[in-house]
Amino acid sequence: MLLREVAYAKPSSLAEALELLAADDGARALAGGQTLINVMKARAGSPDTLVDLNGLEELKGIELGADGTLEIGAMTTYTELMGSSEARARPILGEVCAQIADVQVRNRGTIGGNVCTNDPTNHLPPLLAALGAEFTILGGAGERTVSAEEFFLGVYVTAVGTGELLTRVRVPAGRDDGFAAVTLGVDGTCIVSAAASLNGVARIALGCVDAVPVVLTPATADGDAVRQAVREANLQPPSDVHASSDYRRHLAEVLAVRAIERAQRS
Amino acid sequence: MASSAVSTERTISVTVNGTTYEREVEARKLLIHFVRDDLDLTGSHIGCDTGNCGACSMIVDGTLVKSCMMLAVQADGATIETVEGLAAGDELNALQQSFSAHHALQCGYCTPGMLMSATALLRENPHPSDDEIKKALQGNICRCTGYWNIFEAVKAAAE
Amino acid sequence: MTTTTIAPEQVEQQQETWSGQNVPRKEDRRLVQGQGVFVDDVKRHGMGYLHFVRSPYAHAHITAIDVSKAEEHPGVYGTLTGEEVAALTDPFFQIASVPGANVKDYALAVGKVRYVGEPIVAVVAETREAARDASELVEVEYEPLAAITDARHAQDEGVPTIHEDAGGNLMWNGVYEWGDLDAAFSEADRVVKIDELHFHRFNSTPLECDGALVEYNRGTGQWTITTNNQFPGFAIIMMGPAMRVGLDKLRFVTQDIGGGFGNKITSHPQLVACCLLARKLNRPVQWTEWRTDFHLSMSHGNERWFQDTEVAVKSDGTLLGFRTKALDDAGAYLRYEPLGGVIWAQVTPGMYKWQHVRVDFTQVATNKAPVSPNRGYSRMQHLWFTERVIDIVAHELDLDPVEVRKRNYIKAADMPYTTPNGCVYDSGDYAKMLDIALDLVDYAGIGAKRADAAARGKLLGVGIGSTLDSGTNNFGQSRLINPELQFSGNNEVATVKLDIFGEIVVTLGTTPQGQGHETTAAQVVADILKCSVDDVYVRAGHDSYWNSHAGFSGTYASQFAVTGLSAVKGATEMLREEIFKLAGAIFGGVPPEALELADGGVRIKDNPEAFLPFMACGAIINANNAGLPEDLGVTLNCRYVYRPPFEVPDVERKYGNLTLTYAAQVHVAVVEIDPETGYYEVVDYAAVDDCGKRIHPQIVEGQVMGATAQALGAAVHENYVYDEDGNLLTPNFYDYHVPHALDMPPLKTGYVESASPFTPLGTKGMGEGGGAGIHAVCAAVQDALRDHGGALVWDSCNPYHRVWEMLNDPTKGARVEVVAQ
Repeated sequence: MLLREVAYAKPSSLAEALELLAADDGARALAGGQTLINVMKARAGSPDTLVDLNGLEELKGIELGADGTLEIGAMTTYTELMGSSEARARPILGEVCAQIADVQVRNRGTIGGNVCTNDPTNHLPPLLAALGAEFTILGGAGERTVSAEEFFLGVYVTAVGTGELLTRVRVPAGRDDGFAAVTLGVDGTCIVSAAASLNGVARIALGCVDAVPVVLTPATADGDAVRQAVREANLQPPSDVHASSDYRRHLAEVLAVRAIERAQRS
Repeated sequence: MASSAVSTERTISVTVNGTTYEREVEARKLLIHFVRDDLDLTGSHIGCDTGNCGACSMIVDGTLVKSCMMLAVQADGATIETVEGLAAGDELNALQQSFSAHHALQCGYCTPGMLMSATALLRENPHPSDDEIKKALQGNICRCTGYWNIFEAVKAAAE
Repeated sequence: MTTTTIAPEQVEQQQETWSGQNVPRKEDRRLVQGQGVFVDDVKRHGMGYLHFVRSPYAHAHITAIDVSKAEEHPGVYGTLTGEEVAALTDPFFQIASVPGANVKDYALAVGKVRYVGEPIVAVVAETREAARDASELVEVEYEPLAAITDARHAQDEGVPTIHEDAGGNLMWNGVYEWGDLDAAFSEADRVVKIDELHFHRFNSTPLECDGALVEYNRGTGQWTITTNNQFPGFAIIMMGPAMRVGLDKLRFVTQDIGGGFGNKITSHPQLVACCLLARKLNRPVQWTEWRTDFHLSMSHGNERWFQDTEVAVKSDGTLLGFRTKALDDAGAYLRYEPLGGVIWAQVTPGMYKWQHVRVDFTQVATNKAPVSPNRGYSRMQHLWFTERVIDIVAHELDLDPVEVRKRNYIKAADMPYTTPNGCVYDSGDYAKMLDIALDLVDYAGIGAKRADAAARGKLLGVGIGSTLDSGTNNFGQSRLINPELQFSGNNEVATVKLDIFGEIVVTLGTTPQGQGHETTAAQVVADILKCSVDDVYVRAGHDSYWNSHAGFSGTYASQFAVTGLSAVKGATEMLREEIFKLAGAIFGGVPPEALELADGGVRIKDNPEAFLPFMACGAIINANNAGLPEDLGVTLNCRYVYRPPFEVPDVERKYGNLTLTYAAQVHVAVVEIDPETGYYEVVDYAAVDDCGKRIHPQIVEGQVMGATAQALGAAVHENYVYDEDGNLLTPNFYDYHVPHALDMPPLKTGYVESASPFTPLGTKGMGEGGGAGIHAVCAAVQDALRDHGGALVWDSCNPYHRVWEMLNDPTKGARVEVVAQ
């Protein structure tokens, strides 16, 4: 419950933030804090320095391009995303954010935090993978934009390296999306989740079944083809107190179909 | 001290329920501990250590947060409202009275956080539906009441 | 979301009394302003904050402890180790007879650790953070041992022994048998055999965890323990002898407690650690338990297996008797156990007319958190078992569970009813409660609801959960566990006085955690003194210095409405008699029959102008008493000890009345299961309660609601699950899901008032009856699966994955065999 000693800085510019992160191996970005502070309470992880991103206007804001692309600042909170008129261009974003935790967490928690944490039970990694989102990373060496496959690397591990920050998430235009999950209590932690997008090619991303979202492109959006694609993925999901590996494997099939059905209805 | 300076301690200025406090705090101190231990405002409570229970809920710069997931240093310059600021002197506000009238509290431990969440809801949405009330209180755990009376109390206060 | 309350038809029109009304709660004003005083709110100058170093192993020898680095950490005031504890204290008194009697239990682990989270060393420092930081510098060396986590294997050949002094992992065993089992089984048409049923390990996770602020007065040797322990009477008889001090040296002070539910009864080991440190360091010592600490170490509810159950039934569903082997998992230490081994017997036949019963009860130790009372303590486990039996028998004999219940329920006309083991159910009409509950969920229309659910691809199920909330213990039942024990009966104290200015002041011996004692006590007082509840001031909380407590004082086991309020009634009636005596003397020799209380004073019935206000009474006795008759015998400060009418049970036959009152609850749950995922929801729910005379109906209903919500959480999610190394997999609220606002089903409530003939106010204790929700959900799930494999529910916790397993493989349900005779 009580954190270890930590140093704190609140930079007023992105450049300053990157400098602070690069200067100290033990420095970590503090975004919404809805995960990191709990990790620090448990003393499961104790950064030397917290670099508070909450003062950086450069990381806020949502822009809707003429082509329907959304550029979402990494420090956008779930509440801000849900309330954004721009983000309504891709309604699944607000719909899924509304299922994350509770209003207090949504008021502080950020899109960037959710994806950079890359906890296998998080909602946004599979969702954004299904939508074909791209992730812009800024560091001392410059800026680069990577795909979801290149971004999500392992449990709690992403392409954001030391001295770097995720600055924006770019979501392409589209509308036929669906999301389905079985959770611990209503809107609770995901036991298995599935996101689907039917913009052109049918794409499904499964959450909670592997270290990173498992992306599938079934031959068609037909239920049998979807189930086939899930089976062919040869999932080896984790077993824990909430679900066995078999149960997760089974849910993955069911939820993939449901996510596609919701995408079709949307 | 420049805000970008790196330090394990800093002096912060926080306004809580209309009173401004200036204190030196360790960077690691959680906002809930600062309010309870440094400012002696013990109305907000702690019920868990994973950010799930909501007993620590307060309104910071107009936003409902769980103060166990914020550092005190992050509240530098902020305006905070806690349960102690709801009543006007001796007079309980409508929400507080409604909680009592509807038996929406038993042990009272979750109540301060519950009241702040309800306050935040009614400010944004003066006439919430039943579902909106439930959604707004989802982050506040109660083990005594089962929530049903709390829903009634918030609904009645909204009317 | 809506709640519908059905009023009973038979309640007579009451006179205008405070009792029976929903007066505004006195507690609310401070609580809604955050002005409650909970233990972590209390501060003392110079206090040190305590952090416990806890065991990472489920079972290990401690080979070395080095606190030197911790003690050198800035801000640290001192430490305490098991070695010191073993030198300064004696092991805690054990309730058990041999072998459990030989368990050695101290405030800190001595020589060995026996569960993950067991406190080993205490570190006290200037700040919470310093204590926490310094605790990481404590060096402990362990020699890990294999852990026992499955009670069914705790007595196998070759498994490690958890308490060497006890010679094995068996803690207690007793066989209970009443009636004539052989006759019952030969008379039976069928014997239903159930291989194994399991009641899972969980508790009520009160939102406030345990805590204490302990001060030691060197001059007087007096400790003041400001804490949230809910049974100080028990704590002091454990602590005093261990600490080798008189019980009066342990002053307990509580004010507001953030929920108890039984889970705050056994904090005495931690309190002893605080006491020793307060004395050693000569400063107040403050301890706050964090959520993870609580989950790891405090008060898990009894986990119980029911093995080799055999039920003797007639073809028409008449239940004749049953025999079973109850295997109870006590965890690593016996703190309030093995009382769980007898307390279930308060409700041996449940609500049913079984005459022939055999329970072979075994309790074993395992390397898990110590078990101690959890809401419904030990009765809940047994009542769940009897309800499972009813529903499994109904299933196997293809009978309607409603009819089986009604056929076997004890009837209102049978009350007071003596059970096979001599307990006396005071009153109740169970069949009527069931009818009300079924009506509330429109049971008559359930066929249509089932079809509608099926059309949406869902499986609908309805289930009943009957439960008894036995209240006001006869502690003589402890002798059935250990005949050498010298406990029996029960008591509670209240003091009511008139102060100098006529203020009515009440002190209680109880330790409320939200049950509204200040309010209901005031209602009882106001009815007797004929004043307003606003004129009655009830002190908040508990303080040993008030001398308003007795051996069994505290708030636990569903008894306040009987013990506490009867003590209040007794003290107030004493006060009334004294007021009459005083006024009679003042009025020149008027007898009490000619006087009455009214309008905040006392007057002559036939001459109301002869009136003495309470203020005058108080002033005369306290400050103006010259000239009063020498033998007046009036103090206007009345202390009353309520003692329920109990005998010592017959230890030989295990026979006798174990509890004074029997409140009841009947719940009905309607669930819809998604057969593709096993996910399910409660879509309708009714709870009907009967706790006799209700002093404050809203408070009673609040208890029913809260208990229901807890039961729903336990039925679906809440479970203390261990891996085979003894690591707790649900050590905090992240993985141990407790229901929140969105998880609640619509709730309808109803009530019946069957006054108890045995209590001064006709009240019955209540508050624990929520186990009914677990029984009802289990039954509803089983009902939903009836035409889809017909798996029989065998575990009290049915998360989605278990439901899915039962759907896919019905053999994963209870293994049942029916033998025709």
